[in-house]
This record gives sequence, structure tokens and C-alpha cells, in this order.
Amino acid sequence: MAGDDLVYAGIRELGTRFRKREVSPVELTEALLARIARVDPTLDTFVTLTADRARAEAKAAEAALLRGDGRPLLGIPVGYKDIYDTRGITTSAGSALWADRVAESDATCVSRLQDAGCVMLGKLITHEFAWGIQSPGHRFKPARNPWNREHIPGGSSSGSGAALAAGLCVGALGTDTGGSIRGPASFCGIVGLKPTYGRCSRAGVATLSWTLDHTGPMARSAEDCAYLLQTLAGHDPLDPVSSRVPVADYVGTLDRPIRGLRIGVPRDFFFDGVDGEVARAFEDAMSTYRSLGAEVRDVTIPSIWDAPSFMVIMASEAFAYHERDLRERPELYGDLLRERLVSGALYTGAEYVQAMRLRERLRNEMLDVLRSVDLLATPTSPKPAPTFAAMWDISLGFPRSNTPPFNLSGLPALAQPCGFAKAGLPLSLQLAGRPFDEATVLRAGHAYHQTTDWHRRRPAV
Amino acid sequence: MSEDVTLDEVRRRAAVAGVTLREDRVEMVRRLLSDALAPLRRMDSRALRTLEPAVTFDAAPGDDHGRR
Repeated sequence: MAGDDLVYAGIRELGTRFRKREVSPVELTEALLARIARVDPTLDTFVTLTADRARAEAKAAEAALLRGDGRPLLGIPVGYKDIYDTRGITTSAGSALWADRVAESDATCVSRLQDAGCVMLGKLITHEFAWGIQSPGHRFKPARNPWNREHIPGGSSSGSGAALAAGLCVGALGTDTGGSIRGPASFCGIVGLKPTYGRCSRAGVATLSWTLDHTGPMARSAEDCAYLLQTLAGHDPLDPVSSRVPVADYVGTLDRPIRGLRIGVPRDFFFDGVDGEVARAFEDAMSTYRSLGAEVRDVTIPSIWDAPSFMVIMASEAFAYHERDLRERPELYGDLLRERLVSGALYTGAEYVQAMRLRERLRNEMLDVLRSVDLLATPTSPKPAPTFAAMWDISLGFPRSNTPPFNLSGLPALAQPCGFAKAGLPLSLQLAGRPFDEATVLRAGHAYHQTTDWHRRRPAV
Repeated sequence: MSEDVTLDEVRRRAAVAGVTLREDRVEMVRRLLSDALAPLRRMDSRALRTLEPAVTFDAAPGDDHGRR
């Protein structure tokens, strides 16, 4: 297998080749470490590289394979967003405040992947505390988009998205409070799944907003996300909102046909300010789904324009989490993040309650719509990735996003590549499903990947 | 109720909350608040369902009443 083909291979293919002894976890890990050494100085995706540990884990995986160990994630190299605790290794949350913080135990998601035989390559840079993009002069450099380094990779799981696109790891963990898995997936041309609220544990993960935070997998295909979710999902007594709903067979149902699947397109809100190229790519994707036998029709979510009240909830909860440090050590927060967090102090208690009431109405309406269709489809982002210059210019405001409604509702949502803008930047399709029906979301994503090659395109890095 | 949040309102809210905003960031925060509060200012709070139940208990045998 040629070098680039090896580092871009998927989990199922790697498992097959490991077991045929065509390639070993050690060879794959060495290939990735060499690529990281060559490529990452221009992308800044890893904030901590754990090369020695990766080599030791790859060697152990190789020995286990020789013993006939059949675990599907055995020997698969992954990276963890740097807000997931890792025992004995710094977890900085991209912040000067936590720059030297070392956790005493692994986050539940990390321990599940490690117990499944994954090889930990290192920690991937995150926007500061999963919200504030690092501006010039910040202690940590921001990750750059492998498709064009002048553009952002999206955030806050910026390192995870960029590293996957650049072929620096096979899988990664992200978190998603308002789109932080799906945004980087969209801007970097990879696949990211925000599972149902409560499906994957948040234990050992830095908080941004308790009622909106989700953990989940990022990869280069829906199939790889299914493999990762299969291990990540399931009740965790350490997370008070962790669900006891049984875990479905995500991998085993991927290949079922999608003929007859009903896809609803909510035109209001999600198409407001959408670029022409994004809209065309979306309609092409819907045509592909029709050709696969799905039924696509427009649907209406009456209260969808209430979705921007999301920020009342997120900012209020984020301020509550950070209040003490903001008051006592404000200088340790990045410039942009500090002002965003402080904005959470400006909402009244009554406004927070009203926003939660609007949230409940919106969630109920989305569940109503999902009685008549199986999935909702929207563009993930209204526009391709903006430049760093635009993000750092505060006069331009915070870019609009199509992802927060699914944090408000807690519904599972997948972002997957569906084309490229003329400027060479990836475009993305968002599919959302019923609570705990990640299997259908992933199956629809997988079916799309069987007839398109957008997810196989690689940036020149 | 007007949907727009003014710069003066942002400054008043900051004073009440006991926080300081850099003067060159007040406009950024005003925009954040305006967008976020617009749905609340459009709504008739009397027409919405309540936020209840605030607490639920699962009394299944062997279960710790919903505590985890």
C-alpha cells in the first residue's frame, strides 16, 4: 500500500490488512508519525504528540493481532481533542489557564477507545475552552485548514478536523456544543457525528455549556464514524445525563438499502444567506438521494427562527462555569473568548428561562416533523470556511451556522462532504435523525459515500 | 418591546452584572445580545407551555429514583 493510501485508509480496510499481515499497526503508526513531522509544522493540529506511547501501543496491538484478537479498533491510530482528559498527559483546553493541567484519569470516551485497542497519537488543538478561536499572540497557535492555510478549519474541534483531512490520524474525538464537530467536518471536508444528547459520555471533558455539550466521533467516512460510535456509545454512571437506551448495531446496519427513506428539507432558516455553490451542492446531494430511492420533500418547523436564542443558553451556562476564573484571573483568557464569556453575565435569569421554554417548543416541533420523515437534511454551513482575517475582525461578527438547532433539540446530526467550492474549499451536507437513531443517520451517510467520492478527496499538503 | 439592544443597554447590563467590557468590544457584545434576544422579544411568554416538569423520578424497583 502506497504511503498516502495507507494514511488515508479506513478502519475496516485497515483491520483487513492488519489481519492479512499486509501492513502492521507499527508500520501505520510510523507512517503517521513521519507524516505529522513533515506536515504538522504548517498546520499546527497537534498540541501534544505522544509518539513514544503510540509506538508502544502499536507494538502491543501487533502482538494482540498475532494472538487472533478480533477487536475492530485494534491498532487504529487516533487523536483526542485537547479538552478530553488523558491521564498523565496535559489537557490544556487550548487555554493559558489550563496550560499545565494534567488529569489524573482518562475521560470515559478516551478510556473506551484505548480499551478497544486504539493507538493514541496525541492531543489535538481546540479553540480555547471550545469557544474562542486563538487570535495572534495567543499562547497556542490555531490549527490551519489543509485545503487552504489562510482559511480556518472550523471549530472548536479544529485540530481534529484538520488532522483528519491532512491524513495525520485515522479517527478523532471532537465535542459539539453549537456545531464544534460538524463545523470542522464541514470546513475540512471530513465526516463528523454529533450523537443524541446522552448517547456518549461527557465525563472527563471540559464543560462549555452543560445542557448543550455533546461528545462524538470524527473520521473520513460515515463507516468509520460508525465503528468509533459503536465503542463510544453506552451508559456511563460518571455522566449524570448519560442515557440507558440500548446501543444499536451501527456497523452491522450500514449496508442496508435506503430505498423508501423519507428525507425532509426545512427550507426556512437553514437556507437564509446560503452561498449559491452551497445551495447547488445541496440540491445535487438530494438528487443523489432520490436516485438511491429516497423520498425527498420540504418540511416546516414553525419556530425555527427562535434558534438564535441558543446563545442565551450557551453564554449563560458558559459564564456560570467560568465566572470565578473570569473575575480572578481574566488575563489568562484569550482576548476574543473573554468578551464572549462575559456576555453570558448580561442575560437575566428570566431570559435564560424563556430561552429554555423556546427551546422546548422547538424541540417538540422537530420531533413532530420527524414523525412524517426519517431524516432532516440541510447544508451544514451556509458558506465555505472563512479566512482567519475575517474571523479575527470583530467588526464582521460571528458567522451564522446551521448546526445549533440540533444542539437545542439534542437530535443526532452528521456532517459529510457533498462538494467543493470553485475556490477549492469543501462543502458539506447535514443529516439529522430521531433521538437515538444514529443508525439511520449513519446508514444514509454511508449510502451517499457509495455513490460519491467527495469524502475521498485529499488536500495537497 | 424593541428587538434591538442598544450600546447603552449593554453597558447598563454589564454594570448590573458587575463585569467590565472593553469599550472596543461593546459593539460586538451588542450584536451577540441583539441576535440572541430577538426571539425572546418577539415571543408572547403567556402563549408558551411551561418549563415543567422540573424534576422527574424513576421509581422502578432497584433503581435509585433516577439518581445516577
